Amino acid sequence: MIWETSLLIGVLFGVACYLILRSSFARILFGFLLLTHAANLFVLAMSGSPDGRDSPVTVKAGTHYVDPLPQALVLTAIVIGFGVAAYLVVLLYRIFLDQRTTNLRELFDPARRPDRTEDDPS
Amino acid sequence: MTTNLVILPLILPVLTALTLLLVGRSRFWRRWLTGVSVLVQLTVALGFVAATYQLPPLMLPAAGWAAPFGIVLVIDQLTALMLALGAMLALAAINFGFAEMPTRRTHPLRAPLIQFMMTGINLSFITGDLFNLFVGFEVMLIASYALLTLEADDFDIRQAFPYLAINLFGSTIFLVAAGFAYTIFGSLNFAQIALVGSQMAGDPRITVLGLLLLLVFGLKSGLFPLYYWLPNSYPILPAPVAALYAGLLTKVGIYVMIRVFGQVLPPGLTLVYQCLGWMAAATMIFGALGAISRNSIRGILSFQVITSIGSIALAVSFFTEYAFTAAIFYVLQDIMVKSSLFLIGGSIGVLNDTDNLDRTGGLWKAAPLLGVLFLLQAFSLAGLPPLSGFWGKYMIVTEGARLGHWIYITCVLVAGLLTTFSMLRIWLTTFWRDEAEAGGHIDHDDLRWKPMTIIIAVMTLISLGFGLGADHLLQLSAEASHQVFDRAAYIRHILEVRP
Repeated sequence: MIWETSLLIGVLFGVACYLILRSSFARILFGFLLLTHAANLFVLAMSGSPDGRDSPVTVKAGTHYVDPLPQALVLTAIVIGFGVAAYLVVLLYRIFLDQRTTNLRELFDPARRPDRTEDDPS
Repeated sequence: MTTNLVILPLILPVLTALTLLLVGRSRFWRRWLTGVSVLVQLTVALGFVAATYQLPPLMLPAAGWAAPFGIVLVIDQLTALMLALGAMLALAAINFGFAEMPTRRTHPLRAPLIQFMMTGINLSFITGDLFNLFVGFEVMLIASYALLTLEADDFDIRQAFPYLAINLFGSTIFLVAAGFAYTIFGSLNFAQIALVGSQMAGDPRITVLGLLLLLVFGLKSGLFPLYYWLPNSYPILPAPVAALYAGLLTKVGIYVMIRVFGQVLPPGLTLVYQCLGWMAAATMIFGALGAISRNSIRGILSFQVITSIGSIALAVSFFTEYAFTAAIFYVLQDIMVKSSLFLIGGSIGVLNDTDNLDRTGGLWKAAPLLGVLFLLQAFSLAGLPPLSGFWGKYMIVTEGARLGHWIYITCVLVAGLLTTFSMLRIWLTTFWRDEAEAGGHIDHDDLRWKPMTIIIAVMTLISLGFGLGADHLLQLSAEASHQVFDRAAYIRHILEVRP
């Protein structure tokens, strides 16, 4: 099981990195979503085999427990990741509204000038 | 010693932020609430500095769960010093914002967001485990994303994207590193990791973990191959917020480097220290060169943030108690110097209506005090005696010479020279040149620069105090560095105290 999980994490990381390095907004967004999933899965895999182990304090003989701590960590990480993803969606939408492009290459083109005439510091 | 007061640096900013949200648009209450709250935070932090000097760290096991199992918040000398300088800087930046306010309406969410950011920063300082460090970073970063875009205009807002993207990536790697640390050590508590790690010296997995964490902290603090997000995103911030970012955000990365590499991970990760050293040396040179390439005051200063980070990271990479003293001293004084320079940039922006070096000028006649303050802080940044920046650099260079790192020392000195050059460019254009020659103008009716200059003058006086009374601050830094290096005592205090 641990091998399948690690393979899946590797694929997720690879796909996420590929998507992030593209130049269109939607792909980058999906890349980040996949990246957080990959990281969460990685932390979850840290609790070892999903079959569990003998707990330090055994209630019933033969009962196996999974380490709950990574699950608590993942829960926190999911919440944080969700909040940041929501923020990213809004930011990209606002950039699209302001700049009328979803392509990073156009967005960061040095020839692109602001509409205003003065580059005032405010 | 166990005390509930440890929660104060965390709970004060949260409560202030929430109250500020309730107060809404009332400007009077907004000002008084933030002002008083930050003053209280500063007092509390100074109290912690006194309470941890040559004494064991203060700690709070959350809900009474003892150390390796529950969450602990710890304040030792280093944490207390960082908290105090952070609160001092927040006080200055917030008051500067008030001085700037009369004509420029600030966004009502700015004050609460700054408090939320302080919450995250303070949590990163006082946390005693790796996962809460991640949470603290996230709280700090989410507030900083919001502040970055809050008052940005339609064109500049695109610069928020690289900032967000690189930090999101860094956070993900941090989460992975935290999970990895949990597998290796079976705990996320700093003291427990230090205890377990001390019997695992030479384990290659720890080197991998060290490199992962170096990547994360290097990203957050803006080290060489990872800094490109910084110099483009900081200039879009309003001056007081930019001062806060420049003074504190990157320093949090350095603080965790000192904490995690110095105290938590087992010593002897030579590969990690070497990588850090080379990254730091390159950071200094590229930061100083980048500063020369820029043509606006805030652009130059943003690159100077990177240069200082390089010097501090270099001191951390030497990994001796004396070098850590130098690093801590440098961080503390740099918080004041760098942020006051950003505020001076803000005042210049008010006086000249621009901070583009092509069109600034004539300020030596219009505001001589501002010029004096600028020169003092600029020379401190470049490292001229007897200003505060000199002592930090002096210690780094002597320690480097003792260890025989001649290439690193050359980098420090060359970066200092280039820094002087880029600061003199600001001086020659903005202060020395006649306004007519520059083709710009001075806004003589706008008197906002006067209260701004007073705030900057107070900060410069504190910096001067750091420089002229360096031995006092050095004593505190040496004590902080000693507490970081004395792992056995740290482990004993955290793990053996029972609530």
